[in-house]
Amino acid sequence: MGVVGESVVRVDAAAKADGTLRYTDDLAFDGLYGVVVRSEIAYGKIRSITYDPAFDFSGIVIVDHSDIEGRNANVVLTDDQPFLAATRVRHIGEPILLLAHRSKQRLRDAAAHITIDYDAQEPVLSMEESLACKQRLYGEDNVFKAIHTVKGSVPEAEGLHSLDKTYTTPHQEQAYLEPQSMVARYNGGRVKIIGSMQCPFFVEAALEGLAGEKIEVEQAPTGGGFGGKEDYPSLIAGYAYLLCKKAGQDVKIVYDREEDIAYTTKRHPSKLRYKSRFDSMGKLYALEVEIIIDGGAYVTLSPVVLARCVLHAAGFYDCGYLRIDARAVATNTPPNGAFRGFGAPQVLFGIERHMDDIARALGLSPAAVRERNLPGADSVGVSGVPITEHARLRALFETARRESGFDALYDVPSPHRGVGMALFMHGAGYTGVGESMLASSVSIALESDGSVEIRVGSVEMGQGTLTALPQIVADALALPVEMVTCRTPNTAEVADSGPTVASRTVMIVGRLLAQAASKLKTALGDYDSPDGYREAVTRYRQSGAPQQFGASYEQPADILWDEDLFYGNGYEAYGLGCYIAEVEVDPVDYRVRVVRFDAYNDVGQVVNPMMAEGQVEGGVAQGIGYALFERLVYETGRVRSPRFSDYTLPMAPDLLKISVRFLGLEGPSLGLGELPMDGPAAAVANALGHVLGNAFDALPITPETVEEACR
Amino acid sequence: MQITCTINGKVHRFDCAPESRVLDLVREAGMTSVKAGCGEGECGACSLFVNGRLVNACLLLAPQIQDAEVVTLEGLQEETAAIRESFAEHGAVQCGFCTPGFVLRAYDYLSHGGERSEEAIKAALDGNLCRCTGYRKIVEAIVKVKS
Repeated sequence: MGVVGESVVRVDAAAKADGTLRYTDDLAFDGLYGVVVRSEIAYGKIRSITYDPAFDFSGIVIVDHSDIEGRNANVVLTDDQPFLAATRVRHIGEPILLLAHRSKQRLRDAAAHITIDYDAQEPVLSMEESLACKQRLYGEDNVFKAIHTVKGSVPEAEGLHSLDKTYTTPHQEQAYLEPQSMVARYNGGRVKIIGSMQCPFFVEAALEGLAGEKIEVEQAPTGGGFGGKEDYPSLIAGYAYLLCKKAGQDVKIVYDREEDIAYTTKRHPSKLRYKSRFDSMGKLYALEVEIIIDGGAYVTLSPVVLARCVLHAAGFYDCGYLRIDARAVATNTPPNGAFRGFGAPQVLFGIERHMDDIARALGLSPAAVRERNLPGADSVGVSGVPITEHARLRALFETARRESGFDALYDVPSPHRGVGMALFMHGAGYTGVGESMLASSVSIALESDGSVEIRVGSVEMGQGTLTALPQIVADALALPVEMVTCRTPNTAEVADSGPTVASRTVMIVGRLLAQAASKLKTALGDYDSPDGYREAVTRYRQSGAPQQFGASYEQPADILWDEDLFYGNGYEAYGLGCYIAEVEVDPVDYRVRVVRFDAYNDVGQVVNPMMAEGQVEGGVAQGIGYALFERLVYETGRVRSPRFSDYTLPMAPDLLKISVRFLGLEGPSLGLGELPMDGPAAAVANALGHVLGNAFDALPITPETVEEACR
Repeated sequence: MQITCTINGKVHRFDCAPESRVLDLVREAGMTSVKAGCGEGECGACSLFVNGRLVNACLLLAPQIQDAEVVTLEGLQEETAAIRESFAEHGAVQCGFCTPGFVLRAYDYLSHGGERSEEAIKAALDGNLCRCTGYRKIVEAIVKVKS
């Protein structure tokens, strides 16, 4: 038995590989296509909208803000973002009108015959301009959220060295292969939403505000998310809903790639200043970190991304005095949102680059400096509580250092080859007591044939939910995995298990499902064979007792969190990583090749090793893309590179040897989804520093930056 | 204009504008294995065969398939069975949106006698994007396709 820990083949692999799986745009459809008419300016007021009298608009469904009967606000954390702009626009691409028609060509023609006039104002395009209050975009100071926290006291030790460095990270595009897509089905006045999304219940909540009534929301097979389908689908679902309601017909909106890259949410760019004091052996005494992230035009998820920045800003390193000042600011650029890692990849780049900078300043090995600062039993983290993962972290670090041969590679530098390391953690689940506020619940149902159906809102978007959750339930019931399936996530039919984000599906939802399964097992009584199980099921069903079993999240008693003091357990648990990159620089064209990448992870029990490896390999590829390839060019608030030919993703020949190891398998399952995105950028940048002796403090590191560093 | 071609052996007639993309025509004809990923020939998700050559349907206009023999993954189920099985077995499928394109690329590569080495396969996959896997398991699946 024990299907947990086995590389079960994904249940959806065959239908995906033969092309029969229906993603949103593949669903049978007989209705209208919808498009969004967007702001052409970054900041200003809408003066007028003119419909060319020479064009026949009859038959074109047109929706503007005045058609909204409910609340014109997409409430994520606050209500500042309208579904459709009424009088003011705050970024290029902000939706103003929606159009629908059966013919895509007529739609394009109609859009070309609408003129929007603006009173343009000077936009705020950088974090610096925002903080200088060039324009007042939000509140008194353009700050969406500020977090300040201080731990320990300023060291009195004498003769300490100090270092003051600034690191920057850019926007990053999720680049899921399936663009954002949504269908609104019309059925006698009622609307049902079906589409590509990570969080059906988020979409339901957003539409409830917009429509003033509950709308059924169903997830369609989703071609990748990476956070890009966490918060954004609420908007496109709202557009499809509004057009569908007004037209009285089904409406489908599918973005093309340019629209998707140019206007949907991205990873927040950041500016990170690390000021440290340390002794001549590299032991940290004090660390002051200033973090600024660019939220774009609306609040969206920025305050939570910022909290994750703060909780990861110092890594797990032991430090007597730690001060963090963090702000998320408003600018007139398209809003930024969730992306795998959610704030952690930015600051972990900062702290892991800084550890190498300390090593370089002292002429020490980067591994030796990290070892000196490993936490111990009495080490306290950024939020004031002990770092309980200290022993696991040390074991991971020592294994990775030894098995990868890091020291030997580092001690014998070659003119074109270098090695770099990143040691990091990732909090799994919601920050602080966020999970208790989500109050997730799960449900499983016993079917008449003895099979079990999982009913949760957690979605499959490529990461393996449809396979991993059945493995967990089958394991708890001692059943073959084929006996357990997942119902399609539909807000009218499944329990609200919370969003599919934050590395929480296996850890939180999986744990709740195991609890629900053990309730079912208790109800069935003893059985020790498949036949015995069937008999127990028949007996139980005849008794007329409930066929559904549930469980709800209860916060472990030892989790404490005070949001005002930023004190307590930042997360219920952490995944750990120690990643080692070897790079080669081409002396002719300055291209960087990652020739070897070793990813050592500790995420407790691994449910499906093959899928987990795939998660790490994919995350590492995204992290290498973040480090070396992916660059969005913004010009006066507009994305100038909204194509895969400009925004370059890693291709197969770019990724050489990625090897994945899992340690610490005996513990409970922790989060895995985001962890592998966190470490690669720093490991690659540090490896380049090893070859060239220069600091690479800004991402992405392109051949142009390498050439400059070689001069 | 009128365009006539065969898709997976069956004759199809399209009444369409000359600038219509083959991608859209083929999808409207029900071949949903052909996916719209990027619209500019960068990702390979819309791969199909035209007169035996593997091409990106997003870059072809309607007149380019006049009288042509178009074959999509729907028409190559038997021929690609071993490849698809290997993709599933080796964890090469994640979100799956790029997968039909990779399967056709692998089929084209192997049926032309492509070498079973990782480096050669990686080079052959240069026209297909995957954002989920990091490519390692796709390459491994192609190396291990049962012949």
